[in-house]
Amino acid sequence: MASKSLKNLTAPLSGNNPVIVQILGICSALAVTVQLKPAIVMGLSVMVVTAFANLVMSILRKGVPSRIRIIVQLVVIASLVILVDQVLKAFVYDVSKQLSVYVGLIITNCIVMGRVEAFALQNKPWDSFLDGIGNGAGYGLILVIVAFFRELLGSGSLFGFPIFEKLGLYELGYANCGLMLFPPMALIIIGCIIWVHRSINKDLQEK
Amino acid sequence: MKFNTNSNVYIIIYSVVMVVIVAVLLSLAALGLKERQDNNILNEKKVQIVKALGYDAATVSYDEVVAEAALLNAEGVAVENDTQKVFDALQSVKDTRAAGQFPIFKATDGSVVVPLYGAGLWGPIWGYIALAPDMNTVKGIVLDHSGETPGLGAEITTAKHQAMYPGKTVFEGEELVGITLKKGGADANNPHEVDAITGGTKTSDGVSAMIKDCLVSYVPYFVAAKATTEQVSNELNTENNGK
Repeated sequence: MASKSLKNLTAPLSGNNPVIVQILGICSALAVTVQLKPAIVMGLSVMVVTAFANLVMSILRKGVPSRIRIIVQLVVIASLVILVDQVLKAFVYDVSKQLSVYVGLIITNCIVMGRVEAFALQNKPWDSFLDGIGNGAGYGLILVIVAFFRELLGSGSLFGFPIFEKLGLYELGYANCGLMLFPPMALIIIGCIIWVHRSINKDLQEK
Repeated sequence: MKFNTNSNVYIIIYSVVMVVIVAVLLSLAALGLKERQDNNILNEKKVQIVKALGYDAATVSYDEVVAEAALLNAEGVAVENDTQKVFDALQSVKDTRAAGQFPIFKATDGSVVVPLYGAGLWGPIWGYIALAPDMNTVKGIVLDHSGETPGLGAEITTAKHQAMYPGKTVFEGEELVGITLKKGGADANNPHEVDAITGGTKTSDGVSAMIKDCLVSYVPYFVAAKATTEQVSNELNTENNGK
């Protein structure tokens, strides 16, 4: 039981990662990865929403009328997202401005509804909660990796700290890659991550 | 389950109960966090005003540099001096302006800050412009937007763009000309022009129009304030007005 629960938590980090294996939630992964700080806040927000949406739906799973279950899921997810949005606006206002509409769009993030529908409706609350944490963390992990490269190569900084300037790279003729700040580069970086990930995990390669 | 969870009665009761619970929860959260959120919004406005005046908002507070906030009428006369009410009026600069009231912030050094509001390409753009005590030279500007294209129109928010404004002038003789964002590069000898954003022509035009449209309502005030400043400086015969 313990190892099975643990697997719910760890599988989405790599072997069943929502972004690079299930290819879900790409839209927001492209939009909020220009800098590390918003990417981390976005990752945490999605983690909170997936975890609690899974928990609530798993508790409710036996009483939910199956004919309106999608509506019930949406109401639960939307309420959680509104709560997260309100909390961000109250406590980290500058980050919530950077994330702008993408916090609200967590509602439409396929990962959240996908996990509720595929996992929480068939499993016990604790397992579902761990599955939600795992999937949110798997999503956040990819966001952080992408944001790391985009902020470092695009702005020459990490967490806003001008690391390349301190190293004196600009004096040697280095210039920031402006293209990194645009969404298409996030897609290309995700592509590279998938490439590396699949060449390590041979069982994921399609025949 | 003993009863049928797919019966219409059950579904209706379930929905009603669910909606009521969710509504109560969200209302409580919204009410509980409202004060904090309003403070954040107010604080952001203050920071932008301080930035427009050319200070580092991290080290200088609003109360240190702004002496007075006021709402002016169309004749340039202050009709409201309560800071809280002026900030309330900033909630919607558009409505305030339509109602014939014009918010202004007077700095301790005699400069003034005026809120800007206009239209970009995709949505509203806004900001604050600070004028030196001569009511002509731009001290600084802060621009913001809700949905301009990143890398193109959204470049108006960058320090690089906003650094072009200080030192420019908005009056040509007695006539208000504002600041024009010139496509193809500003003429270095023209004190009323800055470079437009490459690929962001519509946004640039929006900023030009916004600066002029917003400042024009303050002309009566500027003329009166200029007269006072000149009088005072003539009497004291001290340093020239301006920066």
